Amino acid sequence: MSLLSSIQPDQMRRVTIAQGDSVASRDLDLIYTTVLGSCVAVCLHDSAARVGGINHFLLADPAPINGESGQLLNRYGIHAMELLINEMIKRGAARERLRARVYGGGSMRQGLGDIGTQNIAFARRFLANEGIPILGEDVGGTSARRVEFMPAYGRARCKSIQGMVAEQQPVPVSAPCGDVELF
Amino acid sequence: MAKKILTVDDSPSMRMLLKSALLEQGFEVFEAEDGVDALEKLDGAEPDLVITDINMPRMDGFGLITALRDGRVRSSLPILVLTTEASDEKKARARNAGATGWIVKPFDRDKLGAAIRRVLH
Repeated sequence: MSLLSSIQPDQMRRVTIAQGDSVASRDLDLIYTTVLGSCVAVCLHDSAARVGGINHFLLADPAPINGESGQLLNRYGIHAMELLINEMIKRGAARERLRARVYGGGSMRQGLGDIGTQNIAFARRFLANEGIPILGEDVGGTSARRVEFMPAYGRARCKSIQGMVAEQQPVPVSAPCGDVELF
Repeated sequence: MAKKILTVDDSPSMRMLLKSALLEQGFEVFEAEDGVDALEKLDGAEPDLVITDINMPRMDGFGLITALRDGRVRSSLPILVLTTEASDEKKARARNAGATGWIVKPFDRDKLGAAIRRVLH
């Protein structure tokens, strides 16, 4: 039985996600949508569990890899990805079944360094480390993108869009950060 | 002699990040990917400290803490939990199981180092 044959697009519920979000769902009537400039969105899907998720992040421009900024990139990026993977696993996904699609990372403005490219590089490196295959990408370039992702089906659509996207600042993914409590 | 730390997390990237932070601070590091793997690794080794995630397959952090506290030789081994979980309920559960401390991801290198040094002395 094909689930796709029962989709009624005009009856789908659209949920817009923003920079900093990491969400997942098994809802059959759901489409996640987001707009990307330099930001990157990673869509994950487990087809056996019928769970999908998406995040949207913009990590700070790193200095040389060994410098502290390079570590900042890793730390917050890994956290953004881990939040997404956790949301998937809570809904029945298994790490070894996850498959990814990567979007965004455009160069939106001249002279600001290639933060989009570095975010794409982070996403690819993380997914490779985790052994998560990348099934598709639409990254780079100079256009903003709108991504639509059906989490239950793992179907994604990505279109270039014209016009300016209000570029947000790179921000750490979430607080609290590193709070320690000794019992 | 350098203190030895066993890190337990099912994400390879997270293990790499943690290892880099710990090596920089002069610790020796060995790794496990979940609670089952950690117990196997502990069989031949004598770490001074364990840093463990909570959500892991096969055996999670709570399971690992309980297994370590349930006797045998390791019952006094300091165990720090490093997790994205932030609920008071989970924190209390870890504390009751015998964890030594709770650190919220993403970790801060300096705070982590300070916590480790406090626990080891």
